[in-house]
Amino acid sequence: MRTSSFGYLVKEGARSLWVNRLMSAAAIGVLVACMILVGSAALFALNVSNIVSYFEDENEIVAFVADDITTQEELDALSLQLHTIENTADIVFVSNEEALQQQIEEYGEYGWLLEEYQGEENMLPHAYRIKVKDISLLEDTAQQIEALSGIQEVRIPTDVAHTLLSIRRIVSMCGVVVVAILLVVSLIIIANTIKITVFNRHREISIMKYVGATDGFIKLPFVVEGLLLGLISALLAYLVVWAGYLYVMDWASTVNSQWLQELYRYFVPFEAVYRELLIGFCAMGVGIGSIGSMIFVGKYLKV
Amino acid sequence: MIEFSNVTKRYDNGTRALENVSMTIERGEFVFIVGSSGAGKSTLIKLMLREEKPTSGIIHVNGFNLNKIKRRQIPKFRRTLGVVFQDFRLIPNMTAFDNVAFALRVTNVSLRDIRRRVPYVLGLVGLASKARTVPEKLSGGEQQRVALARALVNNPDLIIADEPTGNIDPELSYEIVELLHEINKKGTTIVMVTHEHELVSQFNHRVITIENGTVVSDVPPREDEEDGGYRL
Repeated sequence: MRTSSFGYLVKEGARSLWVNRLMSAAAIGVLVACMILVGSAALFALNVSNIVSYFEDENEIVAFVADDITTQEELDALSLQLHTIENTADIVFVSNEEALQQQIEEYGEYGWLLEEYQGEENMLPHAYRIKVKDISLLEDTAQQIEALSGIQEVRIPTDVAHTLLSIRRIVSMCGVVVVAILLVVSLIIIANTIKITVFNRHREISIMKYVGATDGFIKLPFVVEGLLLGLISALLAYLVVWAGYLYVMDWASTVNSQWLQELYRYFVPFEAVYRELLIGFCAMGVGIGSIGSMIFVGKYLKV
Repeated sequence: MIEFSNVTKRYDNGTRALENVSMTIERGEFVFIVGSSGAGKSTLIKLMLREEKPTSGIIHVNGFNLNKIKRRQIPKFRRTLGVVFQDFRLIPNMTAFDNVAFALRVTNVSLRDIRRRVPYVLGLVGLASKARTVPEKLSGGEQQRVALARALVNNPDLIIADEPTGNIDPELSYEIVELLHEINKKGTTIVMVTHEHELVSQFNHRVITIENGTVVSDVPPREDEEDGGYRL
């Protein structure tokens, strides 16, 4: 296709957007609303995921070493075995002396009560604090660790892991459902706009058919129109989400709530995602607009 | 150029539009197709333009077998002919120049060729001075001339005119047919569908009459007069 022809078709698409400006404005309004909801859902899911990841990082298996493992060689061999288990990430050895020291510190002013158990009197076992790569495999990993001969007991925070997994699963599922519904709504909006444009331009379309314009040539202005609708909506929605997110972050930083202040530390700053979000919005707008119009223009335009 | 062999067209609702129509129109001919309203003229045009497919029979136009033509070949086929309609089908917000140029733009012709060819065809139809005028400022006859210029601008071998004088005054109708006659003298085949017998009788061209979906007469030009000429 010639550059001049391509320019002409793009101009036609943009012109149609302006000629049907009332319909275009209505379509952009609904698309912006859909994209704001999709963007908000994505940011919410991202923040939940970030907070869940933090708690996951705090989650660890504590494996207590059997009493008959006493020499450094035996401990080194056990450590090596732990490292060979696939899902283990960080493995930190905590000697019984360190464990006792921690207990004394936790007891605070009553810590002196435990001081007499230092040295030979220390009844605490050595332990390994083990972080896992995938929290959903926590129980399997714990079983593998427990099966090792040098381990006498394993303690795992099963309830916390289940809760975190449930939260992540629910947020992901809700996100997918919301995005799917809004995508369908957006496609219907694009379809309606294209239908009206086809109706308004039926005279030009019939002339184009009779003078031998190809299907692609007839359809391109509609695709351009859909694409522009999507892109304009995406940019507007991005600006609204940006402003809204900054407002929420500002509010969360100042509100007098301890748990919110605690969570605030794990909120994702807008600067960390602005580029990905902008690309995502534009891709979604352009994708919905162009693909939607391509599908529906074929339906309404018998060429 | 145009060949219909035993063509029948029935619509899905059961309407029988054409029944066993056979005819041949040779290159360079000027043919009037006449008939009353509902005789099947519009269906005949739709079949010639490959807007509809026949229920049975074979149609060849400009070397294309319209029974076998693939969908993506239809634009290529339509570029070999020009079409003129009763309602002109001009785009209201475009000037005469742009309406004619539209046919070239949508067929991917360069801007340089558009600037060269559009004034030429507007000159041919006598509208060189009205190139910058929008359709609503033109008379019915002038609007039809713009439509004719648009049909001509791709330099087609065949022009199909569907009731081109249906919306204009009788004296202007005569001018339009005379213009088609001049175009025909340059070698372009003309098929003009009309129900205006009086207008047809003023020209000496072949006349095919259709009634109730069948060809009832096919009268060649009178030999005692100049071929393709006309009577005042």
